[in-house]
Amino acid sequence: MAVLTVRDLSKTFNVGTPRASRVLDNISFEVQGQTFVSIVGPSGCGKSTLLNIISGVEEHTSGDISLKSDQGGDARMGYVFQDPRLLPWRSVMKNMMYVQDELNEETTARARRYLDMVGLAKNADFFPGQLSGGMQQRVGIARAFAVEPDLLLMDEPFSHLDAITARGLRAQLQDIWAQSKKTVVFVTHDVVEAVELSDRIIVLQPGGRIYEDITIDLPRPRRQSDPTVATLQAEVLARLEKMKAATQVAAPVA
Amino acid sequence: MSDQLLDRPPELVVKVEAGEATARKTASRRKMRQTAFIVAGWIAMVLVWEFGSWWFGARILPRPHEVVLEMGEILGNGNFASDFTASVLKTFAGFGVAAAVGAPIGYLMGRYGYWRAFFHDGVTIAGTIPAIVYAVMSLIVFGLSNLGPILAVALVSAPYVALNVAEGIRGVDKSLITMSEAFGRSAKQIRREVLIPTIVPFVFAAIRMCFAVAWKVEALTEVFGGRNGVGFQIRTEYQLYSISGVLAWMFLFIAFMLVIERLVLAKAEARLLAWRPEERSTAL
Repeated sequence: MAVLTVRDLSKTFNVGTPRASRVLDNISFEVQGQTFVSIVGPSGCGKSTLLNIISGVEEHTSGDISLKSDQGGDARMGYVFQDPRLLPWRSVMKNMMYVQDELNEETTARARRYLDMVGLAKNADFFPGQLSGGMQQRVGIARAFAVEPDLLLMDEPFSHLDAITARGLRAQLQDIWAQSKKTVVFVTHDVVEAVELSDRIIVLQPGGRIYEDITIDLPRPRRQSDPTVATLQAEVLARLEKMKAATQVAAPVA
Repeated sequence: MSDQLLDRPPELVVKVEAGEATARKTASRRKMRQTAFIVAGWIAMVLVWEFGSWWFGARILPRPHEVVLEMGEILGNGNFASDFTASVLKTFAGFGVAAAVGAPIGYLMGRYGYWRAFFHDGVTIAGTIPAIVYAVMSLIVFGLSNLGPILAVALVSAPYVALNVAEGIRGVDKSLITMSEAFGRSAKQIRREVLIPTIVPFVFAAIRMCFAVAWKVEALTEVFGGRNGVGFQIRTEYQLYSISGVLAWMFLFIAFMLVIERLVLAKAEARLLAWRPEERSTAL
């Protein structure tokens, strides 16, 4: 598991040019232990940028970010993207092994185990082009878990899928997470999804500030059909509506 | 059976399998029809040739069977293998030089904007110069040596290689590079697993395009000033006014190049690009 500390983090694109735009504004939060945290907010509020900065793919403009393994040393990261991002010229199994630091019996067995957990063990020798979109995304999820990450970053992994496939994958993700108990930072614009999956929801508002940090204290596994889950989903949704109304009032009229 | 079938109820599997059998029959019938048209095309070509022979006279345009007999004689002749090998080796050597020069230039053009600006016009101009100019220039530079045809093939092929590799590099899916970086893959791994596989289809396209032109340029250069090779033999036959000899050497060379194109290049392409849906459907 990981200890992620973000302090006064800001990000401005096109710094020093007339097109400069700030997408994250003095964000601070900490995530540690067996926690599933969702970052929720409207489009363009900097959710994916935040994830890219945490993963090191993108630089931040100011502030501090620290990521350590709770065992000490650097934390290993896994990443599930909006689209599967599989190498089309490699088989499913070779895609799984591409992200492994070492190729040995242990990592191979681990990759097979996670493929099995997402129900694709029999498709290990298929090329990604031979799989449906949902199956490809399952490979993406298995690939991220198979590196045994201390921190798992997930960027709207179900947003490109149809509702039924996404629902099945959410259930599958809950099962895998229950077994592996990784630290997860999950970006979504879907409040219903966030409540179903998370222990905590950080709400970002337009302009890239934290609006609210909500704790979700519900037993697992959670299913959408559960009235308690549905009630909480409605409550969080109402809070977001309130935020939206407040930020619209505060925004200058063009 | 496709992967999707594995999760379906048995009655649906039976229906889908019946559908697949019908699709296979249709594909087989289409293939037979295509073969029939290929054969008809060949027969039409021979008939046109026979007609031309009758019209112009066999002294100017020998009849097809005379050329076939001549081809048989050439194949039985001890010089055939050495001339043929000489031409093929020169073509491949020219290809090698083109790849060694064109691929790095293409890589730089695809990867960096400044290098693209530096090379773009030069490579485009080099690609539009007629092949015969390269053949003549190579002979002027190297005279009657083997280096002339090699240089001509290299000069004709290098711009194709460079432009295709550049396009391949520019077409790299950036999201795969981001994915690789997010998982901590090294620059070497990204080059080997993302960049190179991306440019493979473009390299094959370049090879096929070059191949279609290169062997003609090689033979042409030998006709003008070779000391061995198929082009040299064509010139010798021409000087002896043996039209059937000219045609026989030409057809043997075409046959050999077709064999290389269909059996070597096409097979290698199908094997290396087996992941592409179009390659898989062709393989079925």
